[in-house]
Amino acid sequence: MNRTADQSQANPLREGLSTRAVPQPCSVVIFGATGDLTHRKLLPALYNLAADGELPPAVAVIGFARREKSDEEFRGEMEEAVRKFSRQTVRDEIWKTFSQSIFYHQSDFGDEAGYKSLAERLDKIDKERGTRGNRLFYFAVAPDQFEPILKHLKGVGLNKAREGSWARVIIEKPFGKDLASARELNQVVSNAFSEDQTYRIDHFLGKETAQNILVLRFANAIFEPLWNTRYIDHVQITAAETLGVEGRAGYYEGAGALRDMVQNHLLQLLCLVAMEAPSDLSADSIRDEKLKVVRCLRRMGADEVGSNVVRGQYAEGAINGQPVPGYRSEKNVDPKSMTDTFVALRLNIDNWRWWDVPVYMRVGKRLPKSGTEISIHFKKAPFVLFNKETNEPNVLVIRIQPDEGISLRMQAKMPGTSFRIEPVKMDFHYGTSFGKASPEAYERLLLDAMSGDATLFARRDEVEEAWSFIDVIENAWSATKKAPDLFFYPSGSWGPEEADELLARDGRAWRRL
Amino acid sequence: MPAIAENYSLGQPVEIGKIHKALKKLWQEGESAMTRASLINLAIYSEKPGSLERNTQFIVRITENHACRALVIGANRKSKENRVEAWVNAHCHVTRAGSKQICSEQLSFSLEGPCVEFLPSIVFSHLDSDLPLYLWWQDDFPEPMDPQLWTWVDRLVFDSQTWQDFGAQMRLVETAQQEAKQRIVLCDLNWTRLDKVRHAIAQFFDHPASHHHFSEIESLRIDFAPGFKSTALLLLGWLGAQLNWKVNEPARNGSCRFVDANNRKIDIELHEQETGPIGQVTINSSGIQFRVASAQCGDLLEISRSGENETALPQMMPAQSNDPVDLMTQELLRGGPHRVYLRAVNCVRELL
Repeated sequence: MNRTADQSQANPLREGLSTRAVPQPCSVVIFGATGDLTHRKLLPALYNLAADGELPPAVAVIGFARREKSDEEFRGEMEEAVRKFSRQTVRDEIWKTFSQSIFYHQSDFGDEAGYKSLAERLDKIDKERGTRGNRLFYFAVAPDQFEPILKHLKGVGLNKAREGSWARVIIEKPFGKDLASARELNQVVSNAFSEDQTYRIDHFLGKETAQNILVLRFANAIFEPLWNTRYIDHVQITAAETLGVEGRAGYYEGAGALRDMVQNHLLQLLCLVAMEAPSDLSADSIRDEKLKVVRCLRRMGADEVGSNVVRGQYAEGAINGQPVPGYRSEKNVDPKSMTDTFVALRLNIDNWRWWDVPVYMRVGKRLPKSGTEISIHFKKAPFVLFNKETNEPNVLVIRIQPDEGISLRMQAKMPGTSFRIEPVKMDFHYGTSFGKASPEAYERLLLDAMSGDATLFARRDEVEEAWSFIDVIENAWSATKKAPDLFFYPSGSWGPEEADELLARDGRAWRRL
Repeated sequence: MPAIAENYSLGQPVEIGKIHKALKKLWQEGESAMTRASLINLAIYSEKPGSLERNTQFIVRITENHACRALVIGANRKSKENRVEAWVNAHCHVTRAGSKQICSEQLSFSLEGPCVEFLPSIVFSHLDSDLPLYLWWQDDFPEPMDPQLWTWVDRLVFDSQTWQDFGAQMRLVETAQQEAKQRIVLCDLNWTRLDKVRHAIAQFFDHPASHHHFSEIESLRIDFAPGFKSTALLLLGWLGAQLNWKVNEPARNGSCRFVDANNRKIDIELHEQETGPIGQVTINSSGIQFRVASAQCGDLLEISRSGENETALPQMMPAQSNDPVDLMTQELLRGGPHRVYLRAVNCVRELL
């Protein structure tokens, strides 16, 4: 995460200037250059980096896609996209020079000749623009396109860098739909790129507050001594959104909330909350500790899934006073769909630190409000002195999005002659304390990939271990006999009642967001 | 709530012994609509006439990005009258999300006559507890300085570009740092002024294939605006300190010569031009020219590397604004111990 010392040794002029690894000159080749991700996220992120002076001096962006178009046409499209989606206003002077580094390469993903000409073009760009043979391949395409692209990249030798240069690949989720397909996908990738060349992007990890979890835990002496089974009663992680499936039914029907959110984003957040302190801040030290958490997740037997996991699907209802249809009535959704749009889970981490501390996760679409939060619920104070009648526990809340921040609920005496105790909240808001806008997650992650810092990217073993945990649940759901029920919840509610019962059985309740 | 509505004024006059009470009242009045925020204590000291009003405007802008408790002090030590006046105010702005008013409080003090000597007691009794103290000293440092002042200061901000006698002022600053047992971080806005230019120069040499140029630099030219020679010299000092150069021949008619660790000579030219503080820097090494120049628009740097077999591909990077608030905002954003700064000063101390 922080390699300043290495950098200043390499370039003495960097000493005291950079607190992060410095990205190297490179060509960024985007497969799926005409797609939504490129328009909404990737090009705006690259432009913002250029405008902030964060991009290395020599960077070229090469869009690779099927449609016929010239460099100029592609630049025009990208300008429109950047003007629409960039977090900062586009400056003509900056766009003018930045756009000269954008190129378009037309080819079918399965056409070998297209890759040969790409290799030649990249060599030419290296000479003209000083990108020094470094290549970053960004797969902004569906996973079924990975294999032909990787095969051809390997075929023309673009998977291997020349001496002193590097070649890296960034792949977007979903990293498979179960353990078998994840292994297959990883095998496909590893046939062309080694693990240390592979960057699996999870944009949740690029968010400021997600990164701040490690700082909160390991840069503050007051939390770590309490961060265990002795003082923590349970942990809740909620990722709620008001949106429905929108235009993603094609993908979502085959995925569902468990695969779409829990396997990656929520388990990654859980790892940051539950991991031990790494020995250093190197990518592998952090990822080793995260992996241990996933390995310690108690595997459920098929017959235990029903009592520990609740799946739901939104029915018609209202969001912000507006009526919305049920999931089965959405466009391109099977009217008998059994896809989960809501999941609530009760997890256990079988290690010394977290023994007997359940973790409750819930994720869902069409919930009353959007927000991702982690809450640490501490044990109650003894039922003596002030706590005989009311005994609210302390709760530490880490808000990932929106309104990033941290709050701590504690007890305070109400003013007056009586001893009335009420909960109060100490609240830290990023937006209140720091005027500087956080960079978009993609900006941070693109820079990290250019710098060779894989800390915020998922490693193969993390992904596969997560799938091995998720598969048990998915398999139980798809079983022909005794499959746990799918519960329906009205849009605009906090999910099915069964999700509340999951906690009520343990004498607990979901935190109200 | 008149005190908060008028952002650019000094606010409500208040007796110095009742400041805490006045602050409490201020927040009670605005409690429902505002959030008070503070990450640092920022004290600004100036003896220039009209500084209270000018610095109040600075604080309004600074607090948009850096929530703080501001203590603005205007002093007139020559006055025969001994008088202390105080005001409280709050500066509010709406968050990026547009949902909340975030407010920073400002305490203003006008010190006239002998009471200027009691500055530490005035400042220290009104700090927001547990938060670091940044002291922005806008004038030359008087001699002697009250050593008590340094006991609580965490970061001392000044602008060496305005100093009449760099050597004498630097000695005072370094003495202050010694008295504080090196705890104080020296934050020279003249050094901050170089931030973006240093970034732009450093990035030429990030790739290992460029490192050979460190030992091949033949000449360096820096164009600077009138009044900004010290800025140019600090830039030279930075390159010299980081690349192990030493002064070989002192400055003469805008040129001087440095030698590197292998006794290789590097010719330096310093040119005064009507440009931004640093108008252009060119480094020549083995047939390659590295150039950083202020772009026409003024707030961008145009950087390029060119040579016989290379096509120059200009790139734009943000330039550092010379506005005092922008400099201060950048300084607050950067943090860090600024160890390189003193090395840069030492490298060119005899030229400054």
